[in-house]
Amino acid sequence: MTAVAAARERELDGAQVRRLTSRSAAARATTTLWTRLLDAWSAAATTAIGLAMLGGWLASVRDTIGSRPPMPGSALPTGPTAAVVTVVAVAGLVGVLDRLGPVSASPAAAAWWLPLPASRRGLLRAELARVAGACAGITALLSLPLFLAWTARPSAGGILLDVAGAGVTAAGLVGAVALLETRGATSRVAPVAGAVAVTVSAAAMVAAVVAPLARAAADIPRRHLVPDGAPWAPGVAVAGAALAGVVLLGLADRGLGRLPARTLRLSGSTAQFAAASVLSLDTRDLGRALAARRQRPVRRRWLFRPVTRAWQAVAAADLLLLVRSPWQLGQLVVAAAVPVLAARTDGLDRLPPAVWGGLLLGWALAAVSVGHPARHASAAPGIDRLLPLSPAQAVAAHCAVPALALCVVAATSGVLIGAGSGSALAWAGLGLAAVPAWTAAAVRGGYRPELDWTGPVMSTPMGTLPAGIGATLVQGLDVGILGSVPAIVAVHLGGAPSAGMIAAQLLWALAVGAGGLALTVRRLTSAPD
Amino acid sequence: MTGRRVEADALLSADAVAAGHGDVQVCAPVTLRVPPGHAVALVGPNGAGKSTVLQTLVGLLPPLAGAVRFGADPVDERQASFRRAVAQVLDDEAFFPSLTAREHLLLTARGHGTTDPDATVAAELDLFGLTERADALPTALSSGQRRRLALAAAFVRPARLLVLDEPERRLDTDMRRALAARLARDRDGGLALLLASHDAELVAAVADDVLLIAEDECRWVDPAAAADAVTGHPPP
Repeated sequence: MTAVAAARERELDGAQVRRLTSRSAAARATTTLWTRLLDAWSAAATTAIGLAMLGGWLASVRDTIGSRPPMPGSALPTGPTAAVVTVVAVAGLVGVLDRLGPVSASPAAAAWWLPLPASRRGLLRAELARVAGACAGITALLSLPLFLAWTARPSAGGILLDVAGAGVTAAGLVGAVALLETRGATSRVAPVAGAVAVTVSAAAMVAAVVAPLARAAADIPRRHLVPDGAPWAPGVAVAGAALAGVVLLGLADRGLGRLPARTLRLSGSTAQFAAASVLSLDTRDLGRALAARRQRPVRRRWLFRPVTRAWQAVAAADLLLLVRSPWQLGQLVVAAAVPVLAARTDGLDRLPPAVWGGLLLGWALAAVSVGHPARHASAAPGIDRLLPLSPAQAVAAHCAVPALALCVVAATSGVLIGAGSGSALAWAGLGLAAVPAWTAAAVRGGYRPELDWTGPVMSTPMGTLPAGIGATLVQGLDVGILGSVPAIVAVHLGGAPSAGMIAAQLLWALAVGAGGLALTVRRLTSAPD
Repeated sequence: MTGRRVEADALLSADAVAAGHGDVQVCAPVTLRVPPGHAVALVGPNGAGKSTVLQTLVGLLPPLAGAVRFGADPVDERQASFRRAVAQVLDDEAFFPSLTAREHLLLTARGHGTTDPDATVAAELDLFGLTERADALPTALSSGQRRRLALAAAFVRPARLLVLDEPERRLDTDMRRALAARLARDRDGGLALLLASHDAELVAAVADDVLLIAEDECRWVDPAAAADAVTGHPPP
């Protein structure tokens, strides 16, 4: 045997490299098995209690809806609305998976594992299994309360089958995206998933207000591929999804050796950034990690042509950031659809909390989306300081684009909610009247301070967290929700919003929004550099 | 063409390779050959594109134009045979937080099937002045020690081509000289070397050929008179 052949004999394969790394790390781990078991038990108990509470609440909502008479104006049955929510959730999952790899190598693994001669498939297959397992588990857990609430008389077997179906579908999605990654075809995955989500959301909004489309949507649930009530149908569907998932994961596994180090390194850096954001509860950084573009940004110099003043430069830059972020634009469409679906879906429309909850959720989604430029400004304050603007003027300038975008979203939602009932203008007016509060929410959320991990901490079921974490994390949304109280009251009382109610909403939103922005400006001016 | 550069039997060869990110080319096309026992240094000012060229030559970035070959085949870092033959220390220092300096090197040595990995690792730890810090975690190492650890990893494994991006960075003068002597010795032993550097002394001690990387034209300069080019002030 030659020296070269002997060296190859001694080389470690992928699994051995992983084992060697984890054994070395485990040798100096400070946690004991007992500690880990206690942590696992605590996490499982917390999750089970949370799921049971959520499932019970959703079931009570279902019973409340069932006990109320149908509303004459409702257009969409629950089936299509649930389908839209599912499609948007799946598109979001696919987009996140694509952004994070789904197979990736951490910077350390990229530096120390990928240059080894060990087969890349052997090195990465555990990562693929881990991601697929995590997605399947989380999806199954999240879907459990929904299935409990959705089913009128849930049986253990039926619920288990539904949850298993959701889990294996999620694992199959991981396999599908990973397969595309191994073929080097991921550049279009997130855009296509986003386009599907946006199209379905927009179509649902239109269907909710156009009577023939609504009737057609109502027929969709009846067109099953298998006869209604066939006892074998759910089992076959889950088995089919599981089989497809196994095939996709198997094909992706076979292609892992084709993944270039460059792709793995890029995805790994993003995944590490995102994981650190989750662990440090920094949702803004998580947004930055998931929304950052890999492609070269398109130049849109025309946006700056009309700029003659400093505040206009800020607004033009904000607009540029927003139009360069397809994720944020797509989120705006979904944000416009949520209130419409909540207000015009049979069942939910009988539940005022569902309607105003839908309004708040839609406005909050829109505020988070249009707060994207403010988040950038907060992360890189030096750019604003280059301009002859005081902190108050800079914050005010950052309100221009969010206000404009929120007007479009709120007016669209309002018109569609009231369409056909003669109250389209009133609903649009109510939405527009809430815009000042949600504009302030967007900017205040963008300038939210970092969590203070150096101060006092408190022990919680989720581990040790900084005291006052809630007050920090809700900055932004607090102003939006508080500024929408008149709208919540108007919706809760039922009927179309009156002119007086809209005026009250506008005045209240202006006052709360101004107060929220003043607090933000005060913090910015008092914070040390 | 200058110095000891030879045309035949090149281990790594690049023909009019355009390097860049996305569709943006960072410097003029590069043509070079690196045979066994030969050292080529890329020099030029900061931002000239040396690191991008190196990443392209080892397959971490796709060339925008031209072709890079390792032996007779196009460079493909996904091939185990390429990774087996090419050691590289580029600008990507990262470490497993729970592995000590020694364990990082053992991982590399054993992963490459090095004969007697423990002895090899101990020898390199000694050469790079890390013996006393061998059982320290990366977070407990200084910036210079982490750099030495990354460099040591390139020597605990067999390789036919060694690619280094500014190996002198964060090293003290003695360590720079020791590294230069080591590289020259390994080159004379048959190792092919490709490095980017700003250290005139290192380049003079190691490089047979010096390629000045620039935006408009990449050209060979005399290794003996490369000091100006190395420091970022190319000769006219």
